Amino acid sequence: MHLVVLLKRVLDPEIPQTAFSLDPERKQPHALRHPYVLSVFDGNALELALRLREAGTDVRVTALTFGPKAAEDVLRKALALTVDEAVHVLGEEEGLTAARKARVLAAAISRLPSPDLVLCGRQAADWEAGQMGGMLAEALGMPCLPFVSSLSPAAGGFEAVQQVESGQLVLRLPRPAVVTVTNDPGNVLRAARIKDVMAARGRGLTTIALQDLLPGTQGVEASVETLALRLPAPQRRAEICEGAGPAEAARLLARRLRELGAV
Amino acid sequence: MTKIMTAVWAAGGRVSGLGLEVARAAAQLAAEMEARLIVLALGTGATTAAQALREAGADEVVTCEEEALDASPGEAGLVALERACELTGPALVLLPADSLGRDWAPRVAYRLDAGLVTEVTDWSLEAGRPVFQRLVFGGKAIATMAVAGGPAVATVRPGAGRRDQPPRPGQGELRTLGIRIAPDPRWPRVVRRQAEERQGPGLEEARVIVSGGRGIGGPEGFGPLRELAGALGGAVGASRAAVDEDWVPPTWQIGQTGKTVAPDLYIAVGISGASQHLVGCARAKTIVAINRDAEAPIFDYARLGVVGDWREVLPALTAAVKEMLAG
Ligand SMILES: Cc1cc2nc3c(=O)[nH]c(=O)nc-3n(C[C@H](O)[C@H](O)[C@H](O)COP(=O)(O)OP(=O)(O)OC[C@H]3O[C@@H](n4cnc5c(N)ncnc54)[C@H](O)[C@@H]3O)c2cc1C
Ligand SMILES: Nc1ncnc2c1ncn2[C@@H]1O[C@H](COP(=O)(O)O)[C@@H](O)[C@H]1O
Repeated sequence: MHLVVLLKRVLDPEIPQTAFSLDPERKQPHALRHPYVLSVFDGNALELALRLREAGTDVRVTALTFGPKAAEDVLRKALALTVDEAVHVLGEEEGLTAARKARVLAAAISRLPSPDLVLCGRQAADWEAGQMGGMLAEALGMPCLPFVSSLSPAAGGFEAVQQVESGQLVLRLPRPAVVTVTNDPGNVLRAARIKDVMAARGRGLTTIALQDLLPGTQGVEASVETLALRLPAPQRRAEICEGAGPAEAARLLARRLRELGAV
Repeated sequence: MTKIMTAVWAAGGRVSGLGLEVARAAAQLAAEMEARLIVLALGTGATTAAQALREAGADEVVTCEEEALDASPGEAGLVALERACELTGPALVLLPADSLGRDWAPRVAYRLDAGLVTEVTDWSLEAGRPVFQRLVFGGKAIATMAVAGGPAVATVRPGAGRRDQPPRPGQGELRTLGIRIAPDPRWPRVVRRQAEERQGPGLEEARVIVSGGRGIGGPEGFGPLRELAGALGGAVGASRAAVDEDWVPPTWQIGQTGKTVAPDLYIAVGISGASQHLVGCARAKTIVAINRDAEAPIFDYARLGVVGDWREVLPALTAAVKEMLAG
């Protein structure tokens, strides 16, 4: 069985608002001093793939990323977590429509042994589009199941748990398919072991140049333009209820809530 | 005439609050664009939702009640939506930003060669074309986006496109989509539903929400939160950190990738105030923070705050509230 996990390198989403600034010209955040990380839901997807490999025999996991040279970081991390292969589509995403990006990723996947399951994050922790899983499924001609929090092997495919507004759905998922993964206590990405980190140092990546995969345009393609990118208006500081002790502060808070008509 | 299409899940005649809200907002936009609003109502029993959708402003309600929708709502719904789009050629498809709308949007956009803007929080019309606002980078920036060179597909978050005018009544013609959808053996199939059990109001309806974060320290800490919420007739929510720790179920999560809530009062306890959390409660009328760290970003966002250990503050607050409500 072959599992392909999509990994994207993003600006650390946990940097606070105060440390965040924009380059209005490029319509991108200023990135200079900030760390980059593996997009969080991709970490959950990778964890599910590793667990499926542990649950079966003869399961191989390939990590795939598309981005500039620096995007290699996320593949190094995946190798340290013992994925079997790492594939880097080397090139810039900027300027490609989402559908073309999906076709690039699909073309890269078509060079690999045919996958039984493709796992993506539910949304990348930068522009938060939440579109690549669905579009990639279309480009690959596979069904798609979004918001999956856990997977186990089952006859003919998998049993999947999907998180929806009202709770959870348990689904029978035939293979092949694309899933997008959402966070759950059961899929927090494990830490790499020191010995695996050492072993990963010597391992190679497969690199494919973007040019080799770029499909021609297919008919008319609409494009999405970012007209502007701005920071939200600054908020004012909370009125802090203080008292001689916590109990008094709490009573003051209750009083203020009543004055404001909130209680 | 320009057409706007909306698709909502309407099994058993029930359309979610967000589904109706999106239909109403789409009707306003249709009025501004002099467009016709077509609402696709999906699921067995969807026809009984026609009246509510008419009142929300639909010019045309198209129903699809194929049985295949029950077990494979994502895949079968996509087939229906694609067909409805082929028949009407909408310039704009607006879908609720819920689990089904987010499932269909990228796939129908791909099939229609349309441009996709997700998680829209507001829009305006500029030179006749919709220009969308959405939060990006976890709520740390706001992007203005528009689609060029083809139709647009957008998913819509609660509160978007809200106008003060009442919804314009729709003509509400009713027809059926008229296709058979045979279940495909390659599709995922629902085998079991595990509905969440919750006492008191749901998070989307609650007028008061008491939310706990990593600072609560364990599942038992949610007891005192429940007590305060109970005294106020409210519900208990959580940050993603508390969900990831397995202290509370995922359906309690509030934020960018959890629920979007709009209570009168939101009390954040042991929550630091990450932008991704605040996105989910920004529409609360009054936000209160209880946090032992005076520097926590939540205090730059809340209206009122107490700096202190929740273990000491919360019982006193609950007692004071009970006393106030009794007297
Ligand atoms: C793509 C993406 C999507 C996300 N979606 C969401 C989402 O939907 N919802 C969400 O909530 N998060 C989301 N997050 C995560 C978010 O970035 C934060 O990591 C998370 O909100 C932090 O939760 P927290 O405030 O509970 O924990 P922490 O940031 O760890 O804060 C805990 C707080 O508790 C306080 N505290 C500790 N002990 C006490 C005590 N005894 N008394 C009082 N205060 C105490 C501390 O001072 C601290 O401020 C998302 C992140 C990403 C990258
Ligand atoms: N450039 C990329 N390289 C690898 N995976 C990607 C890339 N872009 C998107 N993805 C995958 O698709 C998911 C959704 O991304 P998005 O649609 O951009 O929010 C991400 O979480 C990744 O798993």
